[in-house]
Amino acid sequence: MGITRRDILRATAAGAVVAGTSSLPTGLFAASNKTVKIGMNIPMTGDYAPWGLPGLYGCEIIAKDINGAGGVEIGGEKYNIEMVAYDHAYDTEKAVQGYKKLVLEDDVKMVMMLGGSTVASVLPWAQRKKMLTTTLLPSDITPKSEYLIATCESHPLYNVTGVEWLAKNFPEAKTAAIVTNNDAEYGLQSAATYKAAFEVEGIDVVDVNLHGFDITDFAPIVSSVLAKKPDIFCMATSFYVTPLMEQLYHQGFKGKIISCTLDYYDEIIAKTSKEFVNGTIFQFPDFDDPALNDKGVNFPDPGGFDAKFRKDHPNDWSAVSWEYPAILLNWIEGAKAAGSVEPTDVLKSLKYTINPAFVFGGGKWWGSQLWGRDNSVVGRWPVVVVENGKARIQEYRSVSDWLAKNKDVLIKHMKELGLRTV
Amino acid sequence: MNSRLKKIIGSLVLLATLVAIPHFLKFHHQDLLIFLTINVLVVASYRIVTLTGEWSLIHAVMMGVGGYTATLLFKNFDLGMWFTLPLAGGVSALIAALLCFPLFRMTQFYFLIGSFAAGEAIRLVWIQYVNPFGGTGGLSGVEPPIIGGIDFLDAIPYYYLALTVVGFCLFILYRIENSRIGLTLHAVHWKAPLAESVGVDTWRYRALAFVIGSFFVGIAGALKVHYLGTITPNQFGIGFMVFILIWVIVGGYNRFYGPIIGVVVLTVFDESIRSFAEIRPAIYGAVLIISILFLPKGLESIPAKFKAWFGIGSNSDAPPLADK
Repeated sequence: MGITRRDILRATAAGAVVAGTSSLPTGLFAASNKTVKIGMNIPMTGDYAPWGLPGLYGCEIIAKDINGAGGVEIGGEKYNIEMVAYDHAYDTEKAVQGYKKLVLEDDVKMVMMLGGSTVASVLPWAQRKKMLTTTLLPSDITPKSEYLIATCESHPLYNVTGVEWLAKNFPEAKTAAIVTNNDAEYGLQSAATYKAAFEVEGIDVVDVNLHGFDITDFAPIVSSVLAKKPDIFCMATSFYVTPLMEQLYHQGFKGKIISCTLDYYDEIIAKTSKEFVNGTIFQFPDFDDPALNDKGVNFPDPGGFDAKFRKDHPNDWSAVSWEYPAILLNWIEGAKAAGSVEPTDVLKSLKYTINPAFVFGGGKWWGSQLWGRDNSVVGRWPVVVVENGKARIQEYRSVSDWLAKNKDVLIKHMKELGLRTV
Repeated sequence: MNSRLKKIIGSLVLLATLVAIPHFLKFHHQDLLIFLTINVLVVASYRIVTLTGEWSLIHAVMMGVGGYTATLLFKNFDLGMWFTLPLAGGVSALIAALLCFPLFRMTQFYFLIGSFAAGEAIRLVWIQYVNPFGGTGGLSGVEPPIIGGIDFLDAIPYYYLALTVVGFCLFILYRIENSRIGLTLHAVHWKAPLAESVGVDTWRYRALAFVIGSFFVGIAGALKVHYLGTITPNQFGIGFMVFILIWVIVGGYNRFYGPIIGVVVLTVFDESIRSFAEIRPAIYGAVLIISILFLPKGLESIPAKFKAWFGIGSNSDAPPLADK
C-alpha cells in the first residue's frame, strides 16, 4: 500500500512533535529554507473577529510545527511557512486594500478569507492576478470566480447532516421553527438549507423568524417562535446564539435545539445550565474529540492541535480555529503535488484531485449546480452534540450523498428565499 | 508677484502634486488615495448643507442612495459609469427633495435627530429587502469602466478618473458657494430674520442646500461603488457619518477648504495609527476633543493664528456674514 496524503500530513506533524521544537520561535529553524508567505485577509477586530482571529492563531500553530520540523518540501526545495495577516474588520474598503497589500506587496501565494461582501470586493483582483483565494462561504463562488475555492467549510450545506441525525434519533420531533439573522450571506443561506433538510425528513417548518442585526432583546423573538409550539428550535447561523439560548432557557423550552454553530458553549452553560445545553446539536467539534482520530479525517494530530491552541489562547477557540489551518494544510498538499508554490499551479493541482483531502474525509468538488462552478469541496461532516457539558461527535454523515439525492429541494428553497443559484 | 500669479503657480503645484502622488505610494495606499479623493467630495458636499446652519446625520446614507442607484442601474440595465454617476446624483437629490418636506419642518437639534431617523429608515429598507438591495450582504458585481483600452480597475487610472470627477464637482460647489445662491445660504445661516425680511424664502434655500449636497454625495457614492464593486448598508451607517462630522469639525467649516483639510489630515493620521486597531476610535475621540478645545475653528484657522502671532496681514477667519 502506498503512502497516502494523510500519512504525509501525520508524519509532518509527528516530526514536529518529536523534534520538540514547536514551542520555539519559527524563525530559528531551517534558516536555509526558502519562505512561502500565505495571506489572511480576515476580520481581526470588530463584530466578526471571532470568525477571523482564532483562525490566524490556528494557522500560526500549524506553521510553527511545520517550520520546526524543518519546513515543507515543495518541488525539491524546502520552504518555511510564514503567515501574513491583514485586519479588514469586515469592511469592504479595507478588504480591497488588504488584498492588494498581501498580493502585490507581500507576495503571498494564497489569500484566505472569511467570505461575504469582503470576498466579493476582491474577486476582480483574484481573477486579474490569478491569485488563489479561499472562502468559508461557497455561496461567494460564481461562474466567473475561477480562483476562488472553498476547500473546508461548505457553509451551510453541512447543516443537513445535523437534521438527518436528529430525525433518525428523535423521530417524535415533527415540527421545527427556524430563527436566523436576515442576511443573504449567512442567515438566509442557512435557513434555506435547514428548510430543505427538514422537508426531506418530513418535519414541518412552523415558523421562519428572520431577525435584524443590532438586536439586544431576544425575549420577544423567542416568545413569538415558541408560541408556535415547535418540537425543534433551529438557530440557522444566528450571530446571536448565546442570547437566544439564554432566552430558551428562561422561557423553559423543553424540545430539541439544533444550531449551525455553538461557539463559546461553555459561556452558554455558565449563563444557563449544563442540563439545559446538554443534547444541543450543532456542527463544529472540539479537536480533542476522540472521534477525530477516525482514519478518514485529514488533520494531523487534532488533539495535540487543540491542546496547543487552548494553552496559547485559552478563551479564543471558535468554529474557525481549525478551519483556516485545514485550508492551509490543503494548500500544502496541493503545492507538494504541484511541485510549485505558484497559485495557478496549486489550484490546478488541487482541482485535478478528484477526491481532495477534505478535513473530515470523503471530499469531492461540487458547486456547479448551485453556484455555477465546482470550486467547493463537500464531504463527510460531523454531527456534534453537547454531552455532559462537552461537545462530542456523534457520527459523520455525507453531505455529498445528501446533495446527490436532494439538491433540487435545496435549490427550490434557495430560490424561495431569493438567493442566487447559478 | 501679484496675488493672481501666486494663485496660478499654487494651483499648478497642487495639480502636479496630485498627479504625481500615486506613483510614490504603495499599492494599498493608492487605494486609500482613491477613497480619500472620494471622501473629499463627501465633506465638500456636506459643507454646502452646513452653510445654512443645519447639521444633518443623513449625508452618509445619501451617499449610499447614490451607490445603490449606480449598482442597480449597472446590474439591471447594464448602464455604464458615465450614466450611473449623474443618475446616482439625481436619485439622491430626488430622495433629498422628498425628505425636505418632513425634515425642514424641524430646525437645529430636532433636524439633526430627524435626519438620523430618516437615514436609518432608508438603511433598514436596504437591510430588510434582500431583493433588490441584497440585505446586509449588499450587492456586488459592479465593474469600473474600460475606456480606450484603459482598465479602470487599476488604482492609478481610477484615481485620475476620480480626481477629474471630484475636481469638476468641487469646482461647481465652489462656484455655487461664491454665487448669489451661496451668499444667500450664508445669509440664511447668520442673518435669517434679515434675509426673510427682504423676501428670502429660508425654507426653500435650506432645502436647496440639502438637495445640492445630496446630489454631489450621491455621485461620490457611485464613484465608490464602481471602484469597490460591492455595496453594503454598513458602509453608510452612523459610524461613517461620525467620521464625516469629525473631518468637517476638525478641518473647520468656515472656509471651502476647511473640511478638505480635515479629511486629508485625519485620513493620513488614521492610516498612521493602523497598528492601534482597537483603540483607534478612542484616539479619534481624543483628537476631536483636543481640536475643539484648542482649535475651535478647525485646522483651517491655523494660518490665521500664525499671521496673528507674527502680526502679518489681517486675522479674518470668520465667514463672510458672521457676527464679528
